[in-house]
Amino acid sequence: MNQTNPPENNIEAKPAPVRSWQSRGRIFGIPVSLIAIWAALFVAASAVPALPVPGMGGMITVNAIMTAISGVVLGPAAAVANMAGAIIATILFPFGAFFGPISFLTATVGGLIAGLTFANRWKLAGAIELLLIASWFVNPASWQPYMYLVPLPYTGIAVLVIFIKPLREWARNQILTQNKVWMWPALFLFASIGHAGEYLTSNSMTNWMYNLTWQYWIPTLPYWIGVDTVIVVLSMVVGVGVLIGLHRARLPHASDLYIKK
Amino acid sequence: MADVGYINQDSFLHRLDARTKLILMLAILVVVLVFTDPIYVIAILFLVLGAWKLAKLPLNMVGDIFKYFTGIAVIIFVLQAFFYPGETNLLQISNPIPAIGFSGYITLQGVMYGLALVLRLVVIMTVAPLLVMTTPMSDLMLALVKFKVPYRFAFILTTAMSLFPSIQNRAELIQQAQLCRGVGDFESGNFFVRLRASASILTPLILGAFRDSQILDVAMSSRAFGAPIQRTFLLESHFRQADYIFLAGSCLSLVGAVILRIMHLGVV
Amino acid sequence: MDRELIIHGENLTHIYPNGVEALRGVTIDIYRGEYLAIVGQNGSGKTTLAKHLNGLLRPTHGAIIVRGIDAGKAKVSELSRIIGYVFQNPDDMLFCNSIEEEIAFGPEMIGCSKEETKHRVDEIIQVLGLESMSDQHPFALSLGDRQRVAVACALSMEPEVFVFDEPTTGQDYFGGQRIMSIIDQLHASGKTIIIITHDMQMVAEHAQRVVVMSAGQIALDAPPEKAFTQLEPLETLSLRPPQITRFAFRMGWTDHAILNVQQMLAAMNGSHASSKIETGGEAK
Repeated sequence: MNQTNPPENNIEAKPAPVRSWQSRGRIFGIPVSLIAIWAALFVAASAVPALPVPGMGGMITVNAIMTAISGVVLGPAAAVANMAGAIIATILFPFGAFFGPISFLTATVGGLIAGLTFANRWKLAGAIELLLIASWFVNPASWQPYMYLVPLPYTGIAVLVIFIKPLREWARNQILTQNKVWMWPALFLFASIGHAGEYLTSNSMTNWMYNLTWQYWIPTLPYWIGVDTVIVVLSMVVGVGVLIGLHRARLPHASDLYIKK
Repeated sequence: MADVGYINQDSFLHRLDARTKLILMLAILVVVLVFTDPIYVIAILFLVLGAWKLAKLPLNMVGDIFKYFTGIAVIIFVLQAFFYPGETNLLQISNPIPAIGFSGYITLQGVMYGLALVLRLVVIMTVAPLLVMTTPMSDLMLALVKFKVPYRFAFILTTAMSLFPSIQNRAELIQQAQLCRGVGDFESGNFFVRLRASASILTPLILGAFRDSQILDVAMSSRAFGAPIQRTFLLESHFRQADYIFLAGSCLSLVGAVILRIMHLGVV
Repeated sequence: MDRELIIHGENLTHIYPNGVEALRGVTIDIYRGEYLAIVGQNGSGKTTLAKHLNGLLRPTHGAIIVRGIDAGKAKVSELSRIIGYVFQNPDDMLFCNSIEEEIAFGPEMIGCSKEETKHRVDEIIQVLGLESMSDQHPFALSLGDRQRVAVACALSMEPEVFVFDEPTTGQDYFGGQRIMSIIDQLHASGKTIIIITHDMQMVAEHAQRVVVMSAGQIALDAPPEKAFTQLEPLETLSLRPPQITRFAFRMGWTDHAILNVQQMLAAMNGSHASSKIETGGEAK
């Protein structure tokens, strides 16, 4: 060609930082399209109120289930997907967002810890889990009587699964091998990690921002444990259905990345 | 792209660059979390409501938002009024009840602190809509990209935003189909039953969406998503004088807030 | 009239929450054993009308009676034993982990015994030729197969009336033919069939009664050979009768629509045709 190119042909493609085409279309190995779809699902689930928060006008929505299972479906990419979904949900339904512009953190952290654990990056997952626990216990409000009980049940399960190698690997293997029976308890464990991550982030933020005292937390604790159990059990049911479906219909998901060849 | 929540007006806030507004929002958020003296928080609240008014946004929406939070606001206030370890006793309610940690008195500090937390809640709840209602979604996305948020994330946000209504429709169809197949509990008043019913919609909804994502993936690839070059943008944004003024203001107020806090001002 | 009235809609009006008036005073009677096609443009109210039959939508005004039950109030799960509804997109209907589970789901939900459920599942699998895929995940099947599974799900409830929403959309010719032959079989076994469709060829070949909807009202209600003579009203509704029918019109055989090749041949020969078609023959 001669030098008098029309301007529209003059677009010089600037090379971007070296990354393959494949990897640029993916985050943590999951296609961006899938992450976007998950985010859209998350938004839709955020519009469905499920359980009331005691004494408050807000509601826990079905997105709690999405958060709890996001880790085993998408791996660490769940954090990105949940974050995007939660940001949009905050914009569309500000009435459900207790923490204003930073409400998205709860679902993000839940998906991140469960996703990292499922990806067997347990050191990182454990570090974040410990940071999260610290963020609760560093606050003077948590030194009040019985406050250590609030995060205990499901965060306890999360800590056990993340740090005890045989338990973690057993749970991962049941899911990766699609064991018909043991997949259920394994999903229960992973849903606990995801949900506990969300729950503790949200509680910690509540304490730092609004300083609810033990006089609120302790009387409502049985209700919270009930809510957690309902959410984790439902997440297990949905999660098993989704994982079996994804596997049998050969749709891409996180398990594909972690099955040893 | 649907500009969800955007209210088209001509105001100084609408004209500000989306980046400026994002920083402003975060600055307000940080500052309001620094102070626990209601006087300071009221000042911030008036700033936010003033901006709300100047942006010609309907003020009654503040009331709409707060309606959902009166419950938590009352709880926050009552807890602090009763249980905050203050010095200046205002009112004796009863004898001390150690079992629930109640001194018997409502203290001035407790009331002030409770009030500050409630006002903080109002500020936090009203600051995000202020950004969303004055900024078209495309500008917001551009601002994120300019802040070096990876374009992929901005893409995920916009795609999710435009896809979720069709997912809602899909959810409704699945619910109808399940009703036809004999599942009767969507009409139930019991929320545990309803929750179980929503869970049974989730599984096919997620699976269906995952399959659709493969089509989306092809559509994206065929339009060079992820091509290894630096992408360009049709829309551009530029800072004006007002943006610099507001940015400087945000930085100053952040520094000021920290200094005041170190001097132990603005806390109960 | 000796036919048994099975569905009676009286002055049905439906206004969606967003204010759209999808039905504006529809009155319709459907009799046992009919083979009915509801046609019309997008947004004309076809699907809205059909969803009133099994309680998925409730009339804003008017009444709908299905076999003596007020479908404006009855539970969907109750009506689903009478009306089987096959959705346009089979994926909306399928949520179990295998075809067998999928077909068994409905009967289990309405409280059939284990033996009865098993019996129904086996029979349906055999009738629809799903043997080779009975333990597969629905999402692993092709669209045509999923469509058949969706029909199987409706079939398992053993309803008297079947509603098919766009049964051939998105399918190739043979896939469409396959579904239509299943529907024809159902009709032959005495079921009442209601099809919602755009496909005029299919209406011409299969239906015995055409209900044309326009802007939430019934614009035309007649057998296809009558309905398709109304070329101009149909044209204003963007509905075009099949090519062969329009061709016959061009030929000047206008008083009785010709619906298929056999009728056309008969009309051209003039010899074996019925009296009405003979007039067409004379025009030639």
